[in-house]
Amino acid sequence: MSEPKIESDIMRISWGPQHPMSGQTRILLDTDGEKVHRIIADLGFTHRGIEKVLENRTILGGIIPIDRMAMVDTANISIGYVTAAEKALGIEVPERAQWIRSLVCEMSRINSHLYAFGLQAEATGYFPAVFIWTTVDREVLLDLFEELTGARWSFNHFLPGGVHKDFTEGFSDKIIEAVHYLRNRFKDYWTAMVENPMFEMRCDGVAILEPKDALRLGATGPVIRGSGIPIDMRNEEPYAAYGDLDWEIITEDACDVMARTKVRFHEIGQSLNMMEQIAKEIPEGEIKTRFSPFARAPEGEHISRVENGRGEMATHIWTNGTTNPYRVKILPPSLRNMYVFERLAELSHITVADIPVVINSIDPWYLDSDR
Amino acid sequence: MSEKISLSDFITSFNENHGKIVESVEVFEDTRASIKAKKRNVVKAAKVLRDEYGFVIPIGGGAIDYPEEKKMEMNYYLNNPDSDFIIVYRVELSRTRPTLPSLTEVWEAMSFHERETHEMFGINFKDHPNLVPLLLPPDWKGGYPLRKDFKGEGKR
Repeated sequence: MSEPKIESDIMRISWGPQHPMSGQTRILLDTDGEKVHRIIADLGFTHRGIEKVLENRTILGGIIPIDRMAMVDTANISIGYVTAAEKALGIEVPERAQWIRSLVCEMSRINSHLYAFGLQAEATGYFPAVFIWTTVDREVLLDLFEELTGARWSFNHFLPGGVHKDFTEGFSDKIIEAVHYLRNRFKDYWTAMVENPMFEMRCDGVAILEPKDALRLGATGPVIRGSGIPIDMRNEEPYAAYGDLDWEIITEDACDVMARTKVRFHEIGQSLNMMEQIAKEIPEGEIKTRFSPFARAPEGEHISRVENGRGEMATHIWTNGTTNPYRVKILPPSLRNMYVFERLAELSHITVADIPVVINSIDPWYLDSDR
Repeated sequence: MSEKISLSDFITSFNENHGKIVESVEVFEDTRASIKAKKRNVVKAAKVLRDEYGFVIPIGGGAIDYPEEKKMEMNYYLNNPDSDFIIVYRVELSRTRPTLPSLTEVWEAMSFHERETHEMFGINFKDHPNLVPLLLPPDWKGGYPLRKDFKGEGKR
């Protein structure tokens, strides 16, 4: 990115991409003393041209690169592409496969929120231990992923028409065991971190995003729900088995960093409830509808909208009667939230020391904003 | 929350009141509508969508290239918090000199998406406050990667 001119009396700090809290991006901070006047995000460090890659693959082959769009939240990313592809190909999905999808998506969401939560703890500077806890507790989920899908990361479990593998023997019991373990752990997180006065000091009232600004700037996911607006794609357009599951949308009214952290925290609770329900009530039946790997999709266009750990992801797929999609447009949540982050310096008082806390409350994942 | 606006009500109302300022209004899936703009009314119709019909949430934007028909299409994806559908607001452009007024004055957050489309397709957004590349390196001279005739590294 070419850098804009620096105004007089302003110091520009280049923050990242090698800063421990920045992730794979560079952020320019125009500061006057401690106060940040302007934030400029320089994205593109992990741009791989996934939209172009998808044009050169068959529709089924596309599930491989799409999984690389956000490693920590692969299931929620790939379900967006897969549901759009199913609409294009006109394939029905068996009910059991829909339930398995919801299970993997919720596990992936917990995985993603745990990582965000750990980073948030690290960013405040007081709780390095919590980051280690979240990393250790993610192992529980990764073990479940390994048993179900055969891989711990980027498991390519979803394919148009269903899922690759069914539950192994006794898998439902293992889910319930993991849910009980994680529920207990979250009590510790709550007392050690969220209720801790030091954490409150860093997070309460910081980076306030009013509901009207959240709407106008296109915030999504925990960011918009942290501003008290109940928008969640699982409710707006229920995909997979979300129409049959009992859960509620979490919102917080405080609009600050703490609110966004609490939204993630309570969403993990909802996800655990859903996991338990799926383990107990999953219907029997087929797990995939077979179709030719070189199936041709008739001419048309289809949009799917799914809820990632970070917010809404829309996938627009155009097909023209060949085996490959004509074009795939992915509208990732992190790019939208990154714009909100750029504007936050104008909307509320942010100091340089707040930046790690604020950016982790937005929780951008640069692999998906860059694609 | 109040009763959600349905897609058919929206289409009827929009066609009745503002049918003339746009080219066409279509439904292409159960919960998706596509509104094709007339080029001279792009900003006017966008303001109607935002102010009268409440499409305040910008989901994003992106283009598609049709080299055989010598055209490109810019799509804006919009959501209304009180509706159960989304709309795709479309503008058709010529492929040789694709230019259209920036919609950042209507939806500020389209800024990133227009910057991305600018570098990937070479579409020029007039009056965009900061039309610099978003994802590609600043010294990139390899062409427009998402156009259909882009050949990739080594075949520039």
